[in-house]
Amino acid sequence: MPTIYIDGRPVEAAEDQTVMQAARAAGVEIPHFCWHPALSVPGNCRICMVEVEGKGTDIACNMPVKAGMKVFTNSDEVVAHRKAILQLTLLNHPVDCGICDKAGECTLQDYHYRYNGEPSVSVDAKVPATKFNELSDRIVLDNERCILCSRCVRFTREVSGSNGLGIEHRADHSRVQPSSDGAFRGDPYSDNVVDLCPVGALLSRRFLYRSRVWYLEPTPSVCPGCERGCTINVWHRLEDWKLKSVATKENSRIARVTPLENPAVNGPWICNKGRDLADLFERPRTTQAKVGGRPAEIDEAVAAARRLIATATRPVALVSSWGSNEELEAFARHLGGRLACFVKADHRPREGEVLEDGLLIKAGKNPNSRRARELFGDAAPSFAPGTDLVLCWGEGFDPALLPAGAKLIVIGSFFDAATDRADVLLPASTQLERDGHYTNFEGVVSAFAACFPRPAGVADAEALFGLLAGEDAT
Amino acid sequence: MRHLIPEFEAMKKRLPPGENGVLVLPCLKRIQEDRGYVADEDIDGLVEYLGVPRIQVEEVLSFYGMLRRAPIGRFHLQVCHNVSCSMHGAERLLDRLQSRLGIAPGQTTPDGRFTLSRVECLGSCGTAPVLMVNERYYELQSEPLLDVLLEELGKP
Amino acid sequence: MTGRKVLMDFEVTPTSHTLEAYLARGGYQALAKALRGMKPGEVTQEIVDSGLQGRGGAAFPAGRKWQVIDPHDGQPHYLVANADEGEPGTFKDRWVLEHSPHTLLESMLIASYALGVRHSFIYIRGEFDLPWRRVSAAIEEAYAAGYFGENILGTGFSCDIFVFRGAGAYVCGEASSLLASIEGSRGYPRNRPPRLTVKGLFQRPTVVNNVETLSNLAWIIGHGAAAFRQIGTPKSPGTRLISVSGHIARPGVYEVELGYSWAKFLHDECGGVSCDRELKAVIPGGISSQVLTGRDAKVLTPHDVETMILDHDALWQAGSSLGSGGMIVIAEGTCMVSLLRVMLRFYHHESCGQCTPCREGMGWLHRIVDRILAGKGRPEDIDLMYRISKANDGTTICGLGDAAGYATVAMLDRFRDEFDWCVEHKRSKYDGNLECRPST
Ligand SMILES: Cc1cc2nc3c(=O)[nH]c(=O)nc-3n(C[C@H](O)[C@H](O)[C@H](O)COP(=O)(O)O)c2cc1C
Ligand code: SF4
Ligand code: SF4
Ligand code: FES
Ligand code: FES
Repeated sequence: MPTIYIDGRPVEAAEDQTVMQAARAAGVEIPHFCWHPALSVPGNCRICMVEVEGKGTDIACNMPVKAGMKVFTNSDEVVAHRKAILQLTLLNHPVDCGICDKAGECTLQDYHYRYNGEPSVSVDAKVPATKFNELSDRIVLDNERCILCSRCVRFTREVSGSNGLGIEHRADHSRVQPSSDGAFRGDPYSDNVVDLCPVGALLSRRFLYRSRVWYLEPTPSVCPGCERGCTINVWHRLEDWKLKSVATKENSRIARVTPLENPAVNGPWICNKGRDLADLFERPRTTQAKVGGRPAEIDEAVAAARRLIATATRPVALVSSWGSNEELEAFARHLGGRLACFVKADHRPREGEVLEDGLLIKAGKNPNSRRARELFGDAAPSFAPGTDLVLCWGEGFDPALLPAGAKLIVIGSFFDAATDRADVLLPASTQLERDGHYTNFEGVVSAFAACFPRPAGVADAEALFGLLAGEDAT
Repeated sequence: MRHLIPEFEAMKKRLPPGENGVLVLPCLKRIQEDRGYVADEDIDGLVEYLGVPRIQVEEVLSFYGMLRRAPIGRFHLQVCHNVSCSMHGAERLLDRLQSRLGIAPGQTTPDGRFTLSRVECLGSCGTAPVLMVNERYYELQSEPLLDVLLEELGKP
Repeated sequence: MTGRKVLMDFEVTPTSHTLEAYLARGGYQALAKALRGMKPGEVTQEIVDSGLQGRGGAAFPAGRKWQVIDPHDGQPHYLVANADEGEPGTFKDRWVLEHSPHTLLESMLIASYALGVRHSFIYIRGEFDLPWRRVSAAIEEAYAAGYFGENILGTGFSCDIFVFRGAGAYVCGEASSLLASIEGSRGYPRNRPPRLTVKGLFQRPTVVNNVETLSNLAWIIGHGAAAFRQIGTPKSPGTRLISVSGHIARPGVYEVELGYSWAKFLHDECGGVSCDRELKAVIPGGISSQVLTGRDAKVLTPHDVETMILDHDALWQAGSSLGSGGMIVIAEGTCMVSLLRVMLRFYHHESCGQCTPCREGMGWLHRIVDRILAGKGRPEDIDLMYRISKANDGTTICGLGDAAGYATVAMLDRFRDEFDWCVEHKRSKYDGNLECRPST
């Protein structure tokens, strides 16, 4: 373990580290645009200049550590270089932060305030570039704002493998462009480039002009899109900035989803399905308990369901593979002995969805199949002759399969054919309205937290199970 | 481009085996020589033949000044405007060609006969000013010589 | 005569480039000597001892570069002759390619043997047509005569060669960019470390040398390093091919023994400044080397004879370099602002666009000098040009950006009055004139 000195402070580094890596591990942030821990090192932005005693200045991101080296990250020369580079970086940049989604979390903006701060020194016209370059129906590229760090390009080469982006032409006419075969449009990981982009050049169309980022806060969560269970941040409006009169619906909507870096599961990435969680969670919700198709109070519906369970001779339960560990365990505890339980695949691959790949996406499109199977076994759902009650928890059950004469209780969050057909319908909260854990296909347990309050008329499934089993409500 | 594949295969003979990328530029140049430019279908064919990503080929096509995606005139007049040629009247040559042909650099005459371009140093500075007509160098040029040249090339 | 010769030591005739003529001059004997009588390490040692420096621009010792390669480390190694010759003012490698291609081929075989190279390349700029034809024909002759291919001269040594044609990008003359180009990518240079001799073409150890550098090898192996050291100066042994252009009476390629008097060369061999004008300035080694005033260079008149010699150290001391050997002679009456504009237009056009200082800086410099010439310069623009140039100093991936910066600074330093004049009077002091024509 060589020791190096960063601004006079001894830092232990690993043999094969660069100064950038060693500094970062020691908590010293050297400014960088092009460098990213999960991508190759092109060393093109030149902002990470440091000075090494006796050797002059060079870029830290491509500088191998050497025992005893003395690195200065703030010498006069470094400071002057950094400032000069920033002025060049900004030369052809439109500085339209006022209408840029990235403002507030833009590296260029941050560095400008920290290391430059001067007004423009140029009186010459800027080189024009395309402002609204539609890369796909998900992403637009503002070529004017692009600082050509090549992170997005490298991502499509080194991580997603789509080779969807490239840099065309030369000099200050260099422009990021999509491959003309549409490879980028087909890249199921494309939205990661929006996070990777250090400036506001790559923008998510879902999020375009929807909110300033400083009105939002992230809540850690787990993507339910497949068995990988990538950890994510669900961004929503900050409590203090909740809208009071107009568009109050925005208060309980997902503004955007970003990866929550996690070496054990997804590294720094997620797939596009995870970005689209709003589509999943903003489907029409069941918020009204029903008995025999007619609206009922929740207590009334619970009582009706309890009666059905108590009187059934051969009841079957279809357990949700979207239930949290806590819910699944509660189900097993309260109802596992009373009903014949089968794990149900709430979601199946949708038309056109990537089934499985070598990066993140798994074929099982339910987040907690592993824990559910541990508790309830692998057997596919089946109805033994004489089945007279089906308790369906979650989605994905086709009521046409309901045995003749059997009753149906549904505990669910979204409308589907089963909720329409239910003899008793109990609306349940979604993952965004409660805390819990999922166990992914490899057995890694990840936590999610509530982002929004439960809508009126909706119960937590975990609380319902005890009630249904006939235990006293508290 | 498919009819050129036997030629591409022959090139492999003296190249290290297994490195397909090395053929990208030679193939593109050969295709351009054959068709006059590189068409979309050529890119399709090359991507399939070499198994390289399409974006790589597109980047290459936009990076190198000699490659083009669209047809040009039958005679491509490329006038060097770098230091030594400028010191010997490159701008005068360009003016003459512009007025004789009625086009600006970057343009093609309506009859599709001539395309005029400005280019950087052609490595022939000792015989400046220099221009290229297709792949041939014309050195030590002057306005009167240009007139003779244009006549040879069929300029009425 | 400009001293002793290594490369231009024969008379150019319509057939002097052929294998037959080359063999008649004693060609391919050095190859036989190396293959039959020397170990690869001994060949490398000979090059180290010869003190041969690179002729592509940086004058880096060739032997030191080679020594990094272990020919017996079990992995492929590659050799590339850099025939991109894109540095404005330079046209000397073309002379070798057209008139003595076998010298290059024999030298490359010797180098391949020393470095354990099975596949070698010549990267030739795309516009070169005749040089390419000559080299290609020479290669076919050499293959037919058994100098390339399997089991060369029955020694068990095998080597192939491929001529790779560029496609119009100056930056591809930069060694790592050149390799990227061969690999089938845009010609983006890359950062060192790792050095190319550690990770080069296809991630394997690779030597890139200039055509002229390599072409010296046949002579060095044939005559021995000691004999080579007899030529030139102690620190800069050998000769340089100097290509002279601009306002000079007899432009062309000359082989000059290092240490030769510069004034004598310009005034006697090259016939002095054209049209009987005074010498204003010289760019000694391609436009990326710093301009010198005639006075600085001490070559104003033939009488300056012994004061300034042509060798690497002398030029470095004078504040410039012998660079690529592309010498551009500039007569009095030339507008230096316009000249800088032509240079900056070139750098702007040729920057690969990868690293920030060069990508943005070249365009900016170009726009500023354009504006100054258009009569819209501001006094602070000169300082701004200094600042942009300085921002490229040592901050770029390859030498394009920072050499452009040095070249700009030299122009500003040495002809400051002309720039100030142009800003103040809103026009060029010399009406933008770049030509030197007989007054009528
Ligand atoms: C922008 C740029 C362009 C270059 N162009 C050439 C060139 O055309 N020919 C050449 O031999 N070297 C060129 N070089 C130098 C090469 O990078 C490399 O140093 C050289 O080929 C090594 O050969 P040598 O050591 O034999 O000189 C260029 C360097 C830079 C930075
Ligand atoms: S779009 Fe963003 S990530 Fe891509 S090169 Fe430009 S600045 Fe970098
Ligand atoms: S200095 Fe210029 S040419 Fe060289 S790598 Fe950087 S941008 Fe490209
Ligand atoms: S972070 Fe080092 S050069 Fe960009
Ligand atoms: S400047 Fe025109 S050929 Fe070199």
